[in-house]
Amino acid sequence: MLATLLKRLIKIFTSLRLTVILLAFAILLVFIGTLAQVDEGLYNAQARYFRQWIIFGLDLFGRKIPLVLPGGYLIGTMLLLNLLAAHICRFQLSKKKIGIQITHLGVILLLVGQLVTDMMAHETQMRFVEGETKSYSESPRNYELIFTSEENSNEEQVVAIPDKLLSRGGEIQNENLPFTIRVKSFWKNSEPSFRAPMMQNGPPLTTNGVAANFDFRPVAEEKTMERKNVPTALVEIIGANGSLGDWMVSDWTADGAMIRGLEESYAQQQLGAAMVKGIVARLVAPQSVFAGGKKFTFALRPERIYHPFSLTLLQTTHTIYPGTDIPKDFRSRVRLQNPQTGENREVEIYMNAPLRYAGLTFYQYQMDASDVAQQAGLAPLSALQVVRNPAWLTPYLGCALVAIGLVTQFMFHLVGFISKRKTK
Amino acid sequence: MRRAVNLSKVGIKMMKTFLICALAALAVLSNGCDRDNVKVYHVAKEDSAAPPPDQIAAPEQMPTTQMQPSQQPQLQFTLPDGWQEIAPSQMRVASFTVTNANGQTADVGVIPLPATGREIQLVNMWREQMKLPALTNETAVETVSAGNDPAKLFDIASEQPLIDGKFRARILVAELTRGATSWFFKMTGEDSFVTAQKENFLQFLKSVLFVENIPAQISGTGLGSQNFLVPKTNTLVIGGAHSNSSANSIWTIPSGWQQLPPPEFLVAKFSIAGADGASAQVNVSSLAGDGGGFLANVNRWRGQLGLPPFAEADLLPYENGIDVIGSPYGIVDFVGTDSKTGKPSRLVGAIVPQNGHTWFYKLMGDGQIVAQQKDAFIKFIQSANYANARNAP
Repeated sequence: MLATLLKRLIKIFTSLRLTVILLAFAILLVFIGTLAQVDEGLYNAQARYFRQWIIFGLDLFGRKIPLVLPGGYLIGTMLLLNLLAAHICRFQLSKKKIGIQITHLGVILLLVGQLVTDMMAHETQMRFVEGETKSYSESPRNYELIFTSEENSNEEQVVAIPDKLLSRGGEIQNENLPFTIRVKSFWKNSEPSFRAPMMQNGPPLTTNGVAANFDFRPVAEEKTMERKNVPTALVEIIGANGSLGDWMVSDWTADGAMIRGLEESYAQQQLGAAMVKGIVARLVAPQSVFAGGKKFTFALRPERIYHPFSLTLLQTTHTIYPGTDIPKDFRSRVRLQNPQTGENREVEIYMNAPLRYAGLTFYQYQMDASDVAQQAGLAPLSALQVVRNPAWLTPYLGCALVAIGLVTQFMFHLVGFISKRKTK
Repeated sequence: MRRAVNLSKVGIKMMKTFLICALAALAVLSNGCDRDNVKVYHVAKEDSAAPPPDQIAAPEQMPTTQMQPSQQPQLQFTLPDGWQEIAPSQMRVASFTVTNANGQTADVGVIPLPATGREIQLVNMWREQMKLPALTNETAVETVSAGNDPAKLFDIASEQPLIDGKFRARILVAELTRGATSWFFKMTGEDSFVTAQKENFLQFLKSVLFVENIPAQISGTGLGSQNFLVPKTNTLVIGGAHSNSSANSIWTIPSGWQQLPPPEFLVAKFSIAGADGASAQVNVSSLAGDGGGFLANVNRWRGQLGLPPFAEADLLPYENGIDVIGSPYGIVDFVGTDSKTGKPSRLVGAIVPQNGHTWFYKLMGDGQIVAQQKDAFIKFIQSANYANARNAP
């Protein structure tokens, strides 16, 4: 009975029919995913169709289609199992088939490498103005509510609560925080408006901190890759002796990129530089509460990844084709300093010449040295994309193995064929 | 039998492989799930939750080669006949329109930009507008005077009819570099008209004077008939000491009004004292766009007097005020109780849209003083010369 069941399972998993069916589903999925990008944007389409085990229902051309399909994870895993099973059952260590074995190994490496990349790769950004030093990079998509408190004269303790927890609502507690955080509202995307004397058309949501000077309102979620969602939350901090008040926490107040954007937009509205500075100072003023004998400063900001080394932006070079706004060359000269290894050197990062260091790759990503920015009194800014991908070599190795395997197999047949002809 | 044994062996082999795969996947997945947990770590103090240094420290860190608006000099000039000042658009500190009897027009703008030494790119941009090939070297037609400074004059004329497909276009650009800033004076229009206006353009350039270190608040005297401009990014100039109007003042200030330093976000503030310590205040502010709209602001004022908000229909009687104060809205006049002081109070307010900005005037305080000052308040609004306030917030 068991043997029969096992036999049937092995037959299914080793069958070429399964391979064909899975490849057909993969083609269908790529087609649907590509169409879905139009409405949902690249990131959402990837998350919904490819980073998924099973897809329940499709949204195409503004219509809901009640269909259940295998997601990218399921197809990939099944293909991997299919390949492994077939390999194990039919494996023969012979000269004749060595090319096929190498090719299959290459395909397995590609599949496993993609899974590891998907699960473990991290893309963050490092944004700095000329002269600034940074030892951390920030996520473009994930956010965290952080509470910092002084640990000693040199260090601060940071308790970082990911936005995923905030979006679930309810109460959040942590042994390092002498209070409970009650999430009253969480908006994945929001918009601020300054409560200028002429714009105060209603009472603020709370009179604490930034909310006294700024209103925030939820707006529709952004789906394109060019625009990002800027979350805002209304939280109540409850200490041992009762509530410490309602507070607005927003990425608008702690995200360098968004603040710079706001400054530029105010500058475009022809507000004076002094007024822009005054408004922004109110926006970024730190918010804090006292609890358990300590001061806790808090902010909602992009998730940070700290590195054991630092980069200092020495110079930005931004050239355009004469007479146009088309960029010709963006490059950043940075100083890399690592106190652990004693390294201290200058590196130039530009298109197709990233810096690879400590398992990370730094690509030149954005640059803002526009006239509008300069009119707003902003120094030239460079943004590097920081990619950590432990499996970055697997596509290269996988493709190389597939190529070697195919060439080997072909050569083997060719040599055999030529030898046969000679004998004749 | 042998087949069954072989299959079992293969089955065990496969189970082992699946187990290894499952464990590897679990390890990978558990790493991914780590992003959902609260993290606690320690960082050096300067890396903590302080406001982003790239924003707050930016003005201080700005290299000296960049344009620093607060250090910009101010411009004085004399306008030729037929030139009319208009509200400057983005990037400009001054704009003018020139028209003749035949309806031909030209546009003149003054644009300060950080000196980059690559002005040839701008010249080529303008040449591109004129459908002309780019130059590899800057070849100025002639050197002219812009006030006391020499300036390079570029005279770029199209060879094709670019205006309405009928007329050729011409751009005259004078460029001079002062310190870290390149100033561009640019006239654009129909070829024949710009050529005719070239002499006026050169006269205008000669009249330009750069005035350094003018204090933020200046009185309205001593500038004669010359125009006085401040780059829009600079501090606001409020002209006019008491009861005086001059070329550079925004308003004629009625007697008895005491000018106070305006709090942040107000353009001007005045206090009017009455008997027995009674007083009224005049607040003036300006915002880009509609500043929130007429109804919202009227209701904000009503809220300050503890009055219920108006509906859209309640505004009908206020819809035509253009004859009185140059605004499509009428003057509002409400009596109520000051929500801050709890005292009976009267509010007279006006909202005046001007060149993409909206000006808000409010006279509020003791009912008797407000009644006495209402006419003076309206005259004060009528006296506004908004051209002198282009750099107002």
